[in-house]
Formats: sequence, structure tokens, C-alpha cells
Amino acid sequence: MIKVINLDKSFDGFKALSDLNLNVKKGSIYGLVGTNGAGKTTLIKHVTGILKPDRGEVLIEGSPVFESIPIKERIGYIPDDLYFFSSYNLKESAKFYRSIYPNWNQQRYEHMVKQFELNEKRKLSKFSKGMQKQAAFVLTMSSMPDYLILDEPIDGLDPIIRKLVWKYIVEDVAEREMTVLVSSHNLRELEGICDSIGILSRGKMMIERDLDELKSDIHKIQVAFKNPAGDPYQGLNVLHKESRGTVDLLIIRNRKDVVESVINKNHPVIFDMLPLSLEEIFIYELGGGDHEIESIIF
Amino acid sequence: MFQIDLKSRKSIYEQIVDNIKELIITGMLKAEDKLPSVRELSKTLTVNPNTIQKAYRELEHQGFLYTVSGLGTFVASPAELAADEKLIEEIKDRLRENIKELLFIGCSLDRIRKLLDELLEERSDWNDKGN
Repeated sequence: MIKVINLDKSFDGFKALSDLNLNVKKGSIYGLVGTNGAGKTTLIKHVTGILKPDRGEVLIEGSPVFESIPIKERIGYIPDDLYFFSSYNLKESAKFYRSIYPNWNQQRYEHMVKQFELNEKRKLSKFSKGMQKQAAFVLTMSSMPDYLILDEPIDGLDPIIRKLVWKYIVEDVAEREMTVLVSSHNLRELEGICDSIGILSRGKMMIERDLDELKSDIHKIQVAFKNPAGDPYQGLNVLHKESRGTVDLLIIRNRKDVVESVINKNHPVIFDMLPLSLEEIFIYELGGGDHEIESIIF
Repeated sequence: MFQIDLKSRKSIYEQIVDNIKELIITGMLKAEDKLPSVRELSKTLTVNPNTIQKAYRELEHQGFLYTVSGLGTFVASPAELAADEKLIEEIKDRLRENIKELLFIGCSLDRIRKLLDELLEERSDWNDKGN
């Protein structure tokens, strides 16, 4: 279990994270999303024990992560900007990883190198960006982490490798109850894999919820009335409204049955209800005030 | 067993619930058949095991499946399916939409009634299990 409590962090007077809370359950795949500069990487660097909190706590299984070797041995971390020793090839890196991570699985490493078709003898610095990512993934997964922390992991990977990467991750979650924290801008991909979502904005956690619950709470509806009387949407939490001729398009934050009961009172001739994608939720929750964004998208 | 459509508006959780339900309703999965374990299904579909767990739990709640701890998850026999009023209401809504469409394309009420009777006739071999 990863728990961040009231975390504050400033850099040269700039408040990067403020009073931030995060809860990742054991065996869960948690997606961390947020606008550019929201503090995702800073938060991840706290969870991996690289940065020291100004205030607040960062705990894994109840103990502080910072400078804790027994916990760090069980964390696998792939940063956005990869780092390899400059003259090392994959084989040498694997040797280094093996000396650091007690749970290193040589058999898995050898299997993965074959499966990803990586040349063990070539210098890692000569690898392409995508291949370096693959190498980092092979090394990290072979260390059999209990906590896998990924910062923009699928950037620059082709669709076939992406699928393989997710397969490995899901398998370890299913088999060993590995806990995953993953940040990404690829919301569609996250939506397909995560069970919990945290939306970060300006150093604060805006929303942290079970993904399906989050989605069952916000709806897009298309509705038309023959004889609209008064305000047919009274009592609903309308986030956005747009009219196209006689058809209204609304984004409503209410439970499905509440929306249905209010709308059906006025006997609509058209009433379609669609769940929102994570991408749309993201835009409405974070870009709500920005009308320019809205008018481009809808 | 079935495929997950990532482009669908339906969530993966709903897709799993609906797919398994369909397999049971069409008889592809029969009463007492064993379902793949959460782990197995998660690996075959590359879907988060927590999502599958939740789908199984929902299907159990709706009476389609039952779990014996240590043995796995099985398909419940239809007799044990208590007609869920909410579910019936949902299906009724779908029928209402279909009837609206039939009326719109010029079907008379009598014709629709005949259609429904025909469809019910097709299912006359369905033995009513005490409901």
C-alpha cells in the first residue's frame, strides 16, 4: 500500500506540491493524470524515495520511503528520462541490477531479452529511444518489484511492444499482487488498464477515485422535449449545456437514476445517455472554465 | 472466450458483465460450468484483475454466477435466478424504444402485437421454472 499524507514540496519558493494526499491499494493499478506541470513527476519522485518531503509523509506499507533500502529494493521505477551507465550494455546492466535487487529473476530476464529481441552486447547508449525504454522495462520487471512505478512508460513504444508491456504488468498484478502507479497523458490507454485514478492539478489532488465509480457519476446526455415547460433540468448539476436546434447536449454530474428521473418527468422525445470517457472527464474537471477548449471539442 | 473493445463507450467492467451474461443466456455457458479464474481471464484478456473480480461479483449479485471458495466461480442454474425488478425495468425500456421505432416506420399496433406473439411463440419450449 502506498500512502502519501499532506505532502508539501517547494523548489526555490515555487510550491510544486501542496497538501497532497494519495492512496494506492495493494494489487491495484493506479493511474496518475494531470496537466503539464501539475506535479506528477515530483510526486512520483517522492513515492520512489528520491525527493525528501518538506512536510507530510510518504509511506509504503506504513514506513517512510526516503532512504529506506529495504523498501527501495522492492520498488521498480522507470523514470521519464532514462539513465544508464554510459559504457554499459544490457548484459552488464543486468549484472548490476542483480547485485542490487535481491529478488532478481535471471530466468525471466533471459526470457524477456529474447522476447523483446534486444541485443545484450550492444551499448545501451546506442539503442534508440524506444529500445532504451524496452531495456529499462526488461531490467525493472526482472527485479520482480512489489511496487512498480512508471512515469510516462508507453511513450515512444510501438503498439506491439505496448501490448506486451501491459501483458507483463497485468500478469504480475494477477499472480503476485504487484501494486502499480502509472502516470500518463494517454488517457485512453490508462482507462483500459487502471482501476483507480488520481487527477492532479497545480500540485493538488483534485479527484482520487475508483475509475468505474468516477465514470458512473458523470454523464453526457442528448435530450429533446416536445413542449419544454420551465427548466427541465432543475435539480441537476449541469456542468455544460449546449443546444443544437431542438436537441440539448448536456454534461451532468449526478447519478444515472437521478438524471433519468428528472429528465423523464418532462416526457422527452429523445433521451440518450452516454458515459464519458476518461479524456472527457479530464477536460471537464480541469478545463471547465476554459471556454475556448470546450468550443473546439464540442 | 470473448473480446474486449477498448474503443467502446462501455467500460471494460460493463463489457465483461454483458459478455458473460450473453454467453449464459445463449447457452454457450451452461449451469454448473466453471468460469476461468480471475487470474486466467485477466491474463487472456490483458485486463486488470481487479476489474474482473468486480465483474464476477456483480454477476454473482445478479444471480448469474456463484462462487465456492477454493473451487472457483460457476454458472448458476436459471431456477436460482430471481427476477430482478430493476433489470426487468431496464429491458422494458429497451422494448419501449423498439416499439417507438416500429410505430415510426409505419407499423400498426396490431401488427406489433402479432410480432411480439410470434417471438413469444418461438420461445414456447422454454419451461417456466416456477417464476
